[in-house]
Amino acid sequence: MMAPMILVDQLKKAYGSSLVVRSLSFRVEKGECFGLLGPNGAGKTTTIGMISGLIPPSAGVVYIGGVSLSAHPREAKVNLGLVPQDFALYPALTAMDNLVFFGRLYGLWGRALSNRVAYALEAVRLADRADMTVSAYSNGMKRRLNLAVGLLHDPAVIVLDEPTVGIDAHSRHAIVNSLKDLINSGKTLLYCTHHLWEAEALCSRVAIMDSGRIIAMDTPRQLIRKHGTGLIRIELGHPVHGHLLETLQRNGAVQRSSERHAGFQFQSARPNADLERLLKLAEECNATVRSAQLLEPTLETVFLNLTGRSVRD
Amino acid sequence: MLRQIAAIALKELKILLKDLEALALLFAMPVFFILVMSFALEGVFEAGTANHPIEMLLVNLDKGPIAKQISKDIETVKGIKIIEEIEGAALTRHRAEALVKEKSSPMAILFENDFSESVKRFVASSEADLPRVSLIIDPATNRQLLAPVQAAIRALVERRVAISRQIHQIKERFSTLGEEIEAVLPRQAALSAPYAPAVDLAILAPKGTASTVRPSATEQNVPGYTVFGVFFIVLPLAAGFMRERHDGTFQRILAAPISKWTLLVGKLLPYYMVNLVQIGLMFAVGAVVFGMHFGTFYGLIPISLALAACANGLGLMVAALGRTEAQIGAMGVFFAVVLSALGGIMVPTFVMPDVMKTLSRFTPHAWALSGYHDVMLRGLGFADVWEETAVLSGFAAFFFLIALWRFRFTE
Repeated sequence: MMAPMILVDQLKKAYGSSLVVRSLSFRVEKGECFGLLGPNGAGKTTTIGMISGLIPPSAGVVYIGGVSLSAHPREAKVNLGLVPQDFALYPALTAMDNLVFFGRLYGLWGRALSNRVAYALEAVRLADRADMTVSAYSNGMKRRLNLAVGLLHDPAVIVLDEPTVGIDAHSRHAIVNSLKDLINSGKTLLYCTHHLWEAEALCSRVAIMDSGRIIAMDTPRQLIRKHGTGLIRIELGHPVHGHLLETLQRNGAVQRSSERHAGFQFQSARPNADLERLLKLAEECNATVRSAQLLEPTLETVFLNLTGRSVRD
Repeated sequence: MLRQIAAIALKELKILLKDLEALALLFAMPVFFILVMSFALEGVFEAGTANHPIEMLLVNLDKGPIAKQISKDIETVKGIKIIEEIEGAALTRHRAEALVKEKSSPMAILFENDFSESVKRFVASSEADLPRVSLIIDPATNRQLLAPVQAAIRALVERRVAISRQIHQIKERFSTLGEEIEAVLPRQAALSAPYAPAVDLAILAPKGTASTVRPSATEQNVPGYTVFGVFFIVLPLAAGFMRERHDGTFQRILAAPISKWTLLVGKLLPYYMVNLVQIGLMFAVGAVVFGMHFGTFYGLIPISLALAACANGLGLMVAALGRTEAQIGAMGVFFAVVLSALGGIMVPTFVMPDVMKTLSRFTPHAWALSGYHDVMLRGLGFADVWEETAVLSGFAAFFFLIALWRFRFTE
């Protein structure tokens, strides 16, 4: 049996008496894109820091490509490409200079370096802007270059910490497409994001973290099946019948009304049955139903159900 | 590892070269200081020498011969130049006072019209008043400069008074000889002969001692402002480290198979090289513009290497202790400017009070300057500057230790 590309076992990190990561364990197989999701302060960045060898763990082990990160950091890091949340680039230098510099750190020189730089620029569609200084780049271009640096030394494992934060839809789609290409080429990705649709589109499995531990881990489909809830949206004409309003409020509906209609929205574990019951009640009350919409459960509703709805920071 | 160090150093050099203005400032600032301060302070350091004599106005209102004789005596003193006429006219008291007031001249000597008579009265009677010579001085004149001039004038005036007294005493003693006394006395021409030094006072520097050798303006300013400029590397170095920490590039580098030592050495290397180039350039300016002598050239090498290490260590320490750009700026300026002042860069330590002299020994600037002076002024060589080199290396080690203890690669 092949060793997993990432093996995390009983990983802990404490700062003083504060336990930030609590006994984390998971494995990521070759060619898999594994999503690490969680609200702010869940411990994702610390976990990524430990997996990248930047933060020493308080306990536990990390293996990259079967090599212990603590015992053989240099060998393990050769297999690892990091795409940090910060741009982590030199704005005074050109994209080419940045790539050449980071390539040399991984032992690439001469023709091998030129080839890899050309590949990385092509992979993120920046080949025609290679000689521009990074300070002149848009945020989207910087994000793409950030990704290119992570791919430069052809690592088997790529760790991505929110690689699409703060950019427009076009750049985000470009990056997501580049990541799909990487997955198709057999790379292993550990993907940390707040954009849950990206995780749903890219990841074969996801782990949802909260308060330093994994609270759910499975394929997105299984998580939705187990923890997902649908969303019902209904618009009623004024005035809303008292009995109907009471039923909606009992279901935790949120009201968004206008002069022309009263709009309600609530989550439901059995959206089909609940919507059918609601329409029947409206008919009994002679209420005017202007529109009714049923949204399928998504990873976002799973995330909210599991981690709660309160703001974390 | 060497290739990784080279890669980091090349990258850092590229970034430094992108900001040519900042880099140029590192070189231009000490050159500017050397040029301006050397010319400006030439008067302070070299005043009173044969090449740069102190110019003194002399207002001679005396109707007798003695003031004239004293004036001639003063003219024989190397380092003092007497000006008795301006635009062909003899100086008046009023004109001399005006010239001193407008700082055209540091001082004026005034002999009143009865000076010779007052000398005669003084030597003839113990009851008589002392003959008076007035010095008209701008209150802002450097007193340190003034003291030896005052002493020289006093000595020459007293010499003339003494000669007059001797003549008077001889005349009194042998008055019975009547007219024949004149034949016995030295001829008037001999009495009025100008002062001729009877001794050559040579100032020698005992080997290995620092107290008697004083630098010229160039010898003070070239090494002084070189040391000053070298420590200005603290600002770009610390800011560069902080920027990398803030931008997350340190994290990205350390995610590569690279040690923290490799990163630090690679990052510091270009700054160290910039410092060495800076030192070379400053001394070249000294040699080309001012004809400065280096002494034993090899003696400058250990001092320069240790000095650059010291400045780099200080820069890393500031990067480690500073949390914000403002903190780094403030600390950088403090260490670069205040320690320079304390270390005798702007004002030589020999004019400082004892407390300041003691404090200056706790600055790397003072030791570096002392090392350079050992080589340039005292003729010492490579083997003789080990003490300064060792102390500077100690400072460097201290700064690096503090830096490594406190330094964080992430925010």
